[in-house]
Amino acid sequence: MSAVPLAARELAIARGSRTLAQGVELELRRGEVVALLGPNGAGKSTLLATLAGLLEPAAGRVERGGRVAAALQAPALARRSVRANVEAALAWWGVPRDQRRERALTALRALRVEQLAERPAAALSGGEARRVHLARGLALQPDALLLDEPFAGLDAPTRAELLHDASTLLRAPERATLLVVHDRAEAWALADRVAVLLDGELVSGPTAELLEQPPTAALAGFLGFSGELREADGASVRLRPGHVVADPAGPLAGRVTHRIPEEDGLLCELELEDERGLLQLRLPHPGPAAGELVRVRIDGGVRIAAGAR
Amino acid sequence: MAFVLHLLDEAFARIAGGDGALVETALRTLWFASLATLFALLAGLPLALWLADGRTRARRIGLTLANAGLGLPPVVLGVYLALLLLPASPLGGLSWDYRPPAVVLAQTLLALPIVVALSAAALRTLPPGLLEQARAFGASRPQRALLALREARVGLAAAVIATLGSALAEVGAVVIVGGNIRGSTNTLASTVLLDLAASDTPGAIADALVLVALLLLLALVLTLVQQGRTRDATAEGLV
Repeated sequence: MSAVPLAARELAIARGSRTLAQGVELELRRGEVVALLGPNGAGKSTLLATLAGLLEPAAGRVERGGRVAAALQAPALARRSVRANVEAALAWWGVPRDQRRERALTALRALRVEQLAERPAAALSGGEARRVHLARGLALQPDALLLDEPFAGLDAPTRAELLHDASTLLRAPERATLLVVHDRAEAWALADRVAVLLDGELVSGPTAELLEQPPTAALAGFLGFSGELREADGASVRLRPGHVVADPAGPLAGRVTHRIPEEDGLLCELELEDERGLLQLRLPHPGPAAGELVRVRIDGGVRIAAGAR
Repeated sequence: MAFVLHLLDEAFARIAGGDGALVETALRTLWFASLATLFALLAGLPLALWLADGRTRARRIGLTLANAGLGLPPVVLGVYLALLLLPASPLGGLSWDYRPPAVVLAQTLLALPIVVALSAAALRTLPPGLLEQARAFGASRPQRALLALREARVGLAAAVIATLGSALAEVGAVVIVGGNIRGSTNTLASTVLLDLAASDTPGAIADALVLVALLLLLALVLTLVQQGRTRDATAEGLV
């Protein structure tokens, strides 16, 4: 049993004639969960489909050390009962007939939708369909499970519930799991490692390391480091709003250029004096007026050396 | 009016009396139409499955041709097929001219665009990603084809019934390639011509009545299938 059921080597992916990424190196190891992040159109779903064998690589290769199943973005359930949908997937997977029912019900129970087993799939809500879709993937017990945005299109409470359940269910010592996610919170909640597909390149690393210390300015920008403090040597410090603290005795001062009201306060954009950069910070309501001078100090952030993109 | 009623009365009497030639013609018509529908389905469904995924130019062209084929005049097909079946022609070696296989072949060729166009239209209504997802869960090509056919079964039933109805009612090509030979290649629709030519108006009316009854039966089956689907959808909370 290979410890790496799925790996990409020098992989290039394409949609039609358009190459979306190249030189992709990725190993999925048993027992780990990897989150794949990237902006819209970066090629996340294409990479997943290529890894799953649904698309041919434009270059390079995909190495499979086990069986790979992919749950694509749309649940795409057939017009039959929930249980029949899971059993159909098990039949395609080659599971003997006498084991299908029990495996289907076990997977539905794990996702807390066993009571929907005999209900027509067409009658499910969006959240229920997502759970059944995930149950189908888990029921197969593949060596590598690829999930394309398993929380897409759900309202906040439903998403939070599913995220909570998935954080336990996706972790299995015998399985490698790759999931395409839409935001960093999902990656934080679920993944041991994060891979970011940006500008045609894949960068991966341990979740906390990559999300807190992105190596390039472009990656930092994508990962929410929206503020920039330019330094004299050409380097810059990239900052999230949480890294900037209002402090009347702070060493930096900037004028408020934008005010964006939020649920818990105000997101303010500051243009620093001496053209040292733009920062964002959160302040309690009602906050400063536009044009007002605010003093701040820096508490965190990531330093990007000069020349690092 | 009395004359018309008399003709109708005689036609009904022949039907009620189980006129041997009428029954034989009705059974032959059903046999030809069923075979043609079967062959058209065997050839047309795989083509429809391929065309339904109309993302390439070749598939779009194929779908356009199938749609255009819906309007193909049967006599045009009949003329060209009859030419192909002449002894000196490419299909002459089959010796099918003026024989039942020629009738079935003509009906099959006329039914093919109906099967392909209507089935492809039914298959294009499948939920997006259904077949791709099945593939991602390990479904083989035949398993995906079965899934598609099962999911589109109501639309496919309509295609089958339309095909069968078309084959039952077809006249032009049948007469040209089969010769409309009584007891061999005639069908209910083509026998109307024979009876009228022989001044047997009650016979023509009886043939027509039986044909209409068969077509109404098909319409009834289709309606029941569609209503059954609607009931399913209602139970699923869709309507």
